Amino acid sequence: MTEPLLEVRALCKSYDEGRIEALRGVDLSVAPGDFLAISGPSGSGKSTLLQLLGGLDAPTSGEVRFQNSVLGTSINLDTYRSLSVGFIFQAFYLLPTLCAIENVQVPMLGVNRDSHSRVQRAEALLREMGLGHRMNQYPNELSAGERQRVAIARALANNPTVLLADEPTGNLDSVNSAHIMEMLIDIRQKRGMTLIIVTHENEIANSAPRHIRLRDGRIES
Amino acid sequence: MAAQLSFAWFSWRNLWRRRLRTLLTICGIGMAIGAFVALVGFSRSFEREWLRMYESSGTDIAVVQKTFLNTSVDESAGATLLALPTVAQAAPMIVNMMDLTPEINALAYGWKADSFELDSLTLKSGRRFQDGRQEVMLGDLLAANLDKKVGDTLEIQGSSFTVAGIYHGGSALEAGAVIMPLGVLQQLSSLQGKVTAFHVRLRPLPTGESPEHYLARAQAQIEAALPGLRAVSAAQRASNNQLVVLAHAVAWGTSSIAMLIGILGIANTMAMSVLERTREIGILRALGWKRWRVLLLIQMEAAVLGFAGGLAGIVIGWGSLRALALIPQTASIASPTFSPFFLAEALCIAVLAGLAAGAIPAWRGARLLPVEALRHD
Repeated sequence: MTEPLLEVRALCKSYDEGRIEALRGVDLSVAPGDFLAISGPSGSGKSTLLQLLGGLDAPTSGEVRFQNSVLGTSINLDTYRSLSVGFIFQAFYLLPTLCAIENVQVPMLGVNRDSHSRVQRAEALLREMGLGHRMNQYPNELSAGERQRVAIARALANNPTVLLADEPTGNLDSVNSAHIMEMLIDIRQKRGMTLIIVTHENEIANSAPRHIRLRDGRIES
Repeated sequence: MAAQLSFAWFSWRNLWRRRLRTLLTICGIGMAIGAFVALVGFSRSFEREWLRMYESSGTDIAVVQKTFLNTSVDESAGATLLALPTVAQAAPMIVNMMDLTPEINALAYGWKADSFELDSLTLKSGRRFQDGRQEVMLGDLLAANLDKKVGDTLEIQGSSFTVAGIYHGGSALEAGAVIMPLGVLQQLSSLQGKVTAFHVRLRPLPTGESPEHYLARAQAQIEAALPGLRAVSAAQRASNNQLVVLAHAVAWGTSSIAMLIGILGIANTMAMSVLERTREIGILRALGWKRWRVLLLIQMEAAVLGFAGGLAGIVIGWGSLRALALIPQTASIASPTFSPFFLAEALCIAVLAGLAAGAIPAWRGARLLPVEALRHD
């Protein structure tokens, strides 16, 4: 049996001194190369689960294991986020002062990659995203779909093992949504990456080979 | 051509985004560094001119009071000095600051007509003054500022003096000074029988003895012969005399206040910048940037502000000193020339001020939790 890439055990997360319980004892196992969709209504804890899987936050109790090492204990969260995880956000979160190719270089600047290879890698990724002609445009000069493609290129910059996408099509029209989803599925297949998507769109959730639903901080199905 | 992202470029882009605020902050620190460059440069130039004056006159040692408050020395000490085997000449002198016109004040020296100090001056017109007479010699710079020539009269503290000669001195302090007979200045300053210092010229260096050792031996000899007085080398006297010490104190005090204001300006800019960019810091942290790297980015921005402010300050300070050098009241002291070391010192202070001002905002930015920072509006 394949060893899980990510494993979640009795994961709880509460806010406001325990008054708000976002996650109430979630157990989950994700194998290498899995494509997992997490859905659920607003406030069900799906984004919180993604944040904990991505090492953006620490659980109140329970643990997240990556390749059998506990996040935040055996693995430094900064190192984990920079080398093992690529994030894609609904609001893109591109840095407005930097052009597309510079935005893609930001994660690589965080790991001291040499400047020449940074530029080469960023160029190659933007070309792969169909943005070879938009490299020097600033985020405000790009369409929403183009911005999300830059964000995907940025997420892939350090060649992560896991891609985590939080409502990646939430700010896009249907044409761009379909295009972005195609790209993500293609990337996963070509690179053998693990893809975890949080979505409230049933169509996207159902397109994933594996789909879990959260409700009130627990896995419903 | 594809853009290459570097740490410095990233910092610069962040500053460039808020151009007006960046410019105003640079102006703020520039004014502070400008004050430092102008004031400290002015006081150092003052010290330098003193040293030049001692060097040009051939003074090896100045004999002064040990105490700070009582600055006058009994004139009779001159005979004791001349009896010492190392002392060739001992010239009594008084130095004072006097108002010559409502706008112009100048250093006034009281020397004896046969003082060796006068030998280093080049007479441009007229002659030396004579002891006991109401005569003065004017430095060429002061004469030009006062529009006086040989034979003219000059009112000093209610007494009328004839301009006996106009000289050129090796130092701006001499060029902008008035020299009169020692006895006359003693009377004018109510210091009869007292002098500010004795300027001592030593006998030639004995063979086999180092200059440093000879100087130290002569100093010890003088201090042993005249308890209560201090024998200081010319270089020490240039930096330790009360006018220079006061000038340094005022310069450092004033520029420290200006620096504090400049630092507060940068701190405010950096704090605003970190607050406005909370989400961006969250993005960087989400992308795996370590805390120290975020801290470094913010500190680099603060250092760039400090550096740019430092450059602006050097220009402002140089301009101010140049302006002072053109004003008659200060022309004799101000010199708009800086050593590379002084400019490097000003730049270092500016960058350190930037780093100090950026430290708290950078620390606050670096310790933001990624998930909280991303939620920030």
